Amino acid sequence: MALGRFMGVGLGLRRPHLEAVLARPDHGVPFWETCPENVIGDGGRPHRDACAILDRDPVLTHGLAISVGGFDPWDGDYLRDLGRFLVRTGTPWHSEHLCFTSVDGNSLHELLPLPFTREAVRHTVARARDLQAHLPVPLLLENITYYAELGRAEMDEAAFITEVLEGADVGWLLDVNNVYVNALNFGFDPKAWLARMPLDRVAQLHIAGHKRFGALTVDTHGAEVIDPVIELMQWTLARLGRPVPVLLERDNHIPDLEDLLAERSRLQAAYDEVLAVPIGGGRG
Amino acid sequence: MAEPLALQRALAALVLDPEGEAFEGDPAAFARSHGLPEADAQSFQQFSGGLAAYRELARLSLLDPIETMFPITRALLEREGAWGSCVEAFLQARCVASRHYRDIAPAFLGWLAETGWGQATWPFLLELAHAEILEVLVARFPEADPPPGLHPDPGPRDRLVLDVATQVVSYRHAVHRVSEAAPVPEVRPTHLLAYRDAEGRAQLMDLTPAAAALLTRAQTESLAEATAALGLTDLPATLSLLRELRDRGALAGFLAAS
Repeated sequence: MALGRFMGVGLGLRRPHLEAVLARPDHGVPFWETCPENVIGDGGRPHRDACAILDRDPVLTHGLAISVGGFDPWDGDYLRDLGRFLVRTGTPWHSEHLCFTSVDGNSLHELLPLPFTREAVRHTVARARDLQAHLPVPLLLENITYYAELGRAEMDEAAFITEVLEGADVGWLLDVNNVYVNALNFGFDPKAWLARMPLDRVAQLHIAGHKRFGALTVDTHGAEVIDPVIELMQWTLARLGRPVPVLLERDNHIPDLEDLLAERSRLQAAYDEVLAVPIGGGRG
Repeated sequence: MAEPLALQRALAALVLDPEGEAFEGDPAAFARSHGLPEADAQSFQQFSGGLAAYRELARLSLLDPIETMFPITRALLEREGAWGSCVEAFLQARCVASRHYRDIAPAFLGWLAETGWGQATWPFLLELAHAEILEVLVARFPEADPPPGLHPDPGPRDRLVLDVATQVVSYRHAVHRVSEAAPVPEVRPTHLLAYRDAEGRAQLMDLTPAAAALLTRAQTESLAEATAALGLTDLPATLSLLRELRDRGALAGFLAAS
């Protein structure tokens, strides 16, 4: 797998843009990220467009609802379909969130926080290892935005994530906006937090916009990325000392494709600036 | 400290169950009522604002596709002051099992069908909800290979094969004629053909009762038998209609009836 085509700043492939993206192969986006849950088992025109793009362009895959830290058994049929999908797309890895999304067979369609306890580490490590055994590509886990600790914590978030990543021996999809939002909500220094983390496991970054609601800042994916988060992305890339793909997420208040391409170009410039030499797909 | 599963169940209850509404009044009591030990109860107290945000965020995620897909059903029930109790009952029933976000709205329809919620008061409610989602279900129906041996031109000894996405539906009410401003349908038997055109977009066609019956019967009987049974005397005209439906994409084609 040549990872060079996954360098630079990519975009999440979203339904309102499918026709436009399919119609212009010169979009300049080095890679797309797609959510398998939104493609597998779907049908119709948008589905055909999505598949055509995924067959044409470089793609990373990012799952939303497999509930890595949950207790519901895996859906064997879905894992089989997912494996086929990952092979078809040629993704070098598949990422999932370090959270739970379902309880007792009920899907909550929200990224819910795991308890920061030794028992939760043990359980999640076992689940992640088992999930990895079912996948044809390496698994990455992503740090989430969380708004509350779930029960009395035995460790902090940084220690919890580190123990799970190390214990499961999986890569890290580091969402710098989530770090930034958590730092705002819980009052810590995001750079000091990152400095504690196993950055050698980082294979990809996520970046997105957020919004403040009263006392709480929420990871909305519904606004442009603000400068402090871009600066944190640059700081992280410099700290890594190596290029990794960065993915701009936008899931709400989705702008026209042209506007999103312009934001991607702005982020690509920031990416190139910190890495000194332009890498990957250039500017859209 | 509680086992992780107990904590996850407590958070799910906070999100889905009616008592979650009163969570912020006494978060520790809520935790204790779900069997969590005192240390976790105190944590629920400490992080009550963030935990309450999960109730709001998860409910937004679950209800947004329902409000988007069933705007007329919502308008009707809001007008009657019943939308809130409807979605509360739906969430409490915990029937969203699928990980696919697109399945939330069909789960709501399935819940209406299984429970009969509201249908003593609004006998057309299930038909209305079904009609609202019909085109989306057709538009997104997964592709599948047609059966082998199909031919494009119908003959009297053939039976018809619907396209995999096509649905022939019959309602007791004219639910496809309502709007958010006028959400109550008139009582009028209604037959619809919902299909996906060559561009992959859903189309809706009014059918006569005879045409609806033909499209249903002729899937298992020959066209000659079906038209005779239905008293349709102009077989060439019927074949011409079916040819047109095949050209539009509603029918996959025709097979010799066994």
